[in-house]
Amino acid sequence: MSLLHQKHAPAGEDHRPAASPSWTPARLRDLGLGIRFAAAGGREGWIRTLLTAAGVGLGVALLLVASSVPHMLDQRDGRERARTETRQSDSPDASAARSDSTVLRIDAGTEYRGRSIAGFLMRPDGAHPVTPPGVAGFPGPDEMVVSPALKELLDSSEGNLLRERLPYRITGTITDAGLVSPNELRFYAGSGTLTPATGGHRLAAYGDNGPPEPLSPLLIVLIVIISVVLLVPVAIFIATAVRFGGDRRDHRLAALRLVGADIRTTRWIAAGEALFGAVVGMLIGLALFLLGRRFAGAFVVWDVSAFPSDLVPAAWPAGLVAVAVPVSAVLVTLAAMRSVVVEPLGVVRNNRSRRRRLWWRLPLPVAGLAVFALTGKVDETTPVDPYPIAAGAVLVLVGLALLLPWLVEACVNRLRGGPVPWQLATRRLQLNSGAASRAVSGVTVAVAGAVALQMLFAAMNDDFNRITGQDPTRAQFYTSSEHVTGDAAARTIKEFRATKGVDKVIGTVEAYVTRPGKYAKDEMQPTTSLTVGDCATLREIARIDSCRDGDTFVVHPRDKKMADWVDKTARKGKEVELSSYTDQQNGVKPTRWTLPADTRTVLTRRDPLGKENWGIMATTGAVDASTLPGATTVAQIRIDKHVEDAAEYVWNTAARLDPGMRVVTLTSVARDRQYASIQTGLQAGATATLILIAASMLVSQLEQLRERKRLLSVLVAFGTRRVTLGWSVLWQTAVPVAVGLTAAVAGGLGLGATLTWMIAKRVSDWWLFLPMVGAGAALILLVTLVSLPPLWRMMRPDGLRTE
Amino acid sequence: MTPAGSLLTAHDLHKSYGSTPALDGASFSIHPGEVVAVMGPSGSGKSTLLHCLAGIVTPDRGTITYAGRELSTMSDAERSALRRTEFGFVFQFGQLVPELTCVENVALPLRLSGARRKDAERTALTWMERLEVDDLGAKRPAEVSGGQGQRVAVARALASSPKVIFADEPTGALDSLNGERVLELLTEAARSANVAVVLVTHEARVAAYSDRDVTVRDGRARDLEHAV
Repeated sequence: MSLLHQKHAPAGEDHRPAASPSWTPARLRDLGLGIRFAAAGGREGWIRTLLTAAGVGLGVALLLVASSVPHMLDQRDGRERARTETRQSDSPDASAARSDSTVLRIDAGTEYRGRSIAGFLMRPDGAHPVTPPGVAGFPGPDEMVVSPALKELLDSSEGNLLRERLPYRITGTITDAGLVSPNELRFYAGSGTLTPATGGHRLAAYGDNGPPEPLSPLLIVLIVIISVVLLVPVAIFIATAVRFGGDRRDHRLAALRLVGADIRTTRWIAAGEALFGAVVGMLIGLALFLLGRRFAGAFVVWDVSAFPSDLVPAAWPAGLVAVAVPVSAVLVTLAAMRSVVVEPLGVVRNNRSRRRRLWWRLPLPVAGLAVFALTGKVDETTPVDPYPIAAGAVLVLVGLALLLPWLVEACVNRLRGGPVPWQLATRRLQLNSGAASRAVSGVTVAVAGAVALQMLFAAMNDDFNRITGQDPTRAQFYTSSEHVTGDAAARTIKEFRATKGVDKVIGTVEAYVTRPGKYAKDEMQPTTSLTVGDCATLREIARIDSCRDGDTFVVHPRDKKMADWVDKTARKGKEVELSSYTDQQNGVKPTRWTLPADTRTVLTRRDPLGKENWGIMATTGAVDASTLPGATTVAQIRIDKHVEDAAEYVWNTAARLDPGMRVVTLTSVARDRQYASIQTGLQAGATATLILIAASMLVSQLEQLRERKRLLSVLVAFGTRRVTLGWSVLWQTAVPVAVGLTAAVAGGLGLGATLTWMIAKRVSDWWLFLPMVGAGAALILLVTLVSLPPLWRMMRPDGLRTE
Repeated sequence: MTPAGSLLTAHDLHKSYGSTPALDGASFSIHPGEVVAVMGPSGSGKSTLLHCLAGIVTPDRGTITYAGRELSTMSDAERSALRRTEFGFVFQFGQLVPELTCVENVALPLRLSGARRKDAERTALTWMERLEVDDLGAKRPAEVSGGQGQRVAVARALASSPKVIFADEPTGALDSLNGERVLELLTEAARSANVAVVLVTHEARVAAYSDRDVTVRDGRARDLEHAV
């Protein structure tokens, strides 16, 4: 007899609980059930869990990297300060007193194919010289210790020209303690000839004991906004990821409704599944972070890299991630399930009666703007509290993300008619624009933030980008040396002229001349400069019409007072004294030279460095440059840009002539170092965020296509062309993106204008959003193109098979 | 060899999915205006036969001729065009496009063939009236019952004035009352418009609406009247 034939239920214990459990245990039970379904739900359950976990994992890994940034910066700054010379006094030029441990040092830094190489020539004063951090032994003469990255470069074929410039024998490697980042190029070379007279500066210890350089309040505003702009899309991405695969899950929940689960229970079970995915995602994120950390040194993004030991997440942001991610997984799922009616026989999604409301979305961005208004203007000197600024930016950007679904719905509901692909796309969006809005919200926030940042950057540009006055069209390099003088001076200019790729050299030898006579202690001895060069050279630095070898000139500055001061020394037909500072100190009798009476007076001309030279100028036939005491040899060099590595040949010549020679690459605009590093950081962060957004959009797109696999097959069955469906997918992506980008531009311009007002600047360019919009649109096009092959695959008739 | 006057003929069809044979020498033919029930147990290959006949799936071997044209020699685009203009489809779950209204769903095949929206929707409404669902025009598929949805699907299949309708278990998801009404309307409308119907089903009662039965077993079709 089967159970069906029994009149009564079989006797036995009644397992039904006497009363329903109270709220908390019931919800915990539902969450637990959801976790069990996710963990033991078979292939489908695991695919969903892994989709969520992969998305959350990527986001968490990025958040962990972001939360490691403060520690990384501290560590980098600490190492930088540790290797800086300990100052003897407030004057940076003050030398230490000679001792057994002191060292003579001269900066020998260089550039190689656009990369900076820091380096020093060093000579010990005694038997126990101090060594910089990360250097085990003091390099002997013609030896050097190098950073691993520099060693690698020198060992490679790419470093051939550099080896010529740094011909020292490598005897050791600088360890991590002596380097700011793993990709840093740095060396310390030993010298047997360096003296104070040849430019050596004496130091006694390493370690910067001065106060750290404070950040400008304007830069703090910039950093806060960048952090918010980069991290809000990541948070949105995580919120999107916990909803991956939601459609399939909802169909399974319908089966639970059939066996008696109520609506609230199904929502919490769904939340439990999302919670499991989020927790697995956090573990994946942690694993990705730890794995990525091991290879951190190998990643160089926009010239930024870090040692693995630098990447340590700060405790409170890491803790916040650990709590916020699972909690938001539960909350987002509960909120999402409110728009889904799970019935015992199926799922109704987004029943039409629930229209999106504006009233609760609008206060958020308005509150953000209010926070900015209350914070008021920020000036360059008053310390700034970053928290209100961060809160305001978060409110505006998150508010924008919340406004987007309403805006997309409001726009698509007005769309009518059009060809079949357009109709399919707009109708789909009218039925359910939530998934599309979610996918686009990341781009919207990123673009809005980027527009605001660009406006800020543009407004601050003048403060942090200095017009140098240099003219790189006349010369690309400026070199000066106080040590290649005498006969060597002429040779130096000659050698630069003979260097491969050098087009033109403005070579001069400069010294100071004084008016002879006795002067009281408080009286200023009239002094001016004496510049010696050939006629072509002198024409580059003074307004000289005619010139023959043997000619001399008195060159006046534009300022009348200064011109009078020049004339006090440069008296035509009278003598001037030639002596160096050292000679004067040592009581060496100065030599005298008479300025010819027929000397012409001319006006100065700005040289390529942007400097105006005045005083006495003499051709090589009038003054023998090799006899000038305390002279400086200056060469301003123009290279032929068509000659490959011409710049490297110039650097090599400079290093060969004088390793301590000052070489300046001329540029018309000089960026503030901190400002430049912030811009670099933004570029690095934006790259990571855009990759994340693209991944998010692709997953959402593929998921939507997978959900519609059977329908796509049916459409193909009755003869729908592939191109029709392709266009439909494109429109389906493009319409919300167009709305999103419009919102992003409006929001970004609003935020940018507010922030610009806060820093008391004016908006310099309202059209800065165009490249951002272009980047956003390109991202969408890329995602659509990448999703087309899966679309073609899903349009195969296999989708019609049910057995 | 094609039976005299037949519109669509298949001969010795073979089709496998991986190592699983779905059709193993199946043959079939249908005349204009004829309603043929393709019957057989689950997994016997009847849906595969329907997909092959409609040019959705290409058989591994065998020939299919429609109105004197060999389907296997047609390109994918030509077969798509054929399905758009000459064939209509009804599936078990209607498979209406959920975001379109019922009238837009019915008008869809016409619009895909290039008809203007208003003309297409006017024709669609005529067919919906015939199928007794003209009051559902503005509703979306999610807002109508299963039986109503199937009638909309039948109207969609007929709207483009096809020569053949392929119906794969069209009443499989309906209760008997609704199922019978859908079959009644489908076959009546088809006969009056001289449209042939290939009706795949595993229910014997459905066969009552057909002019002829074809049984598929283990991938072989036993076409009782037109065996070739």
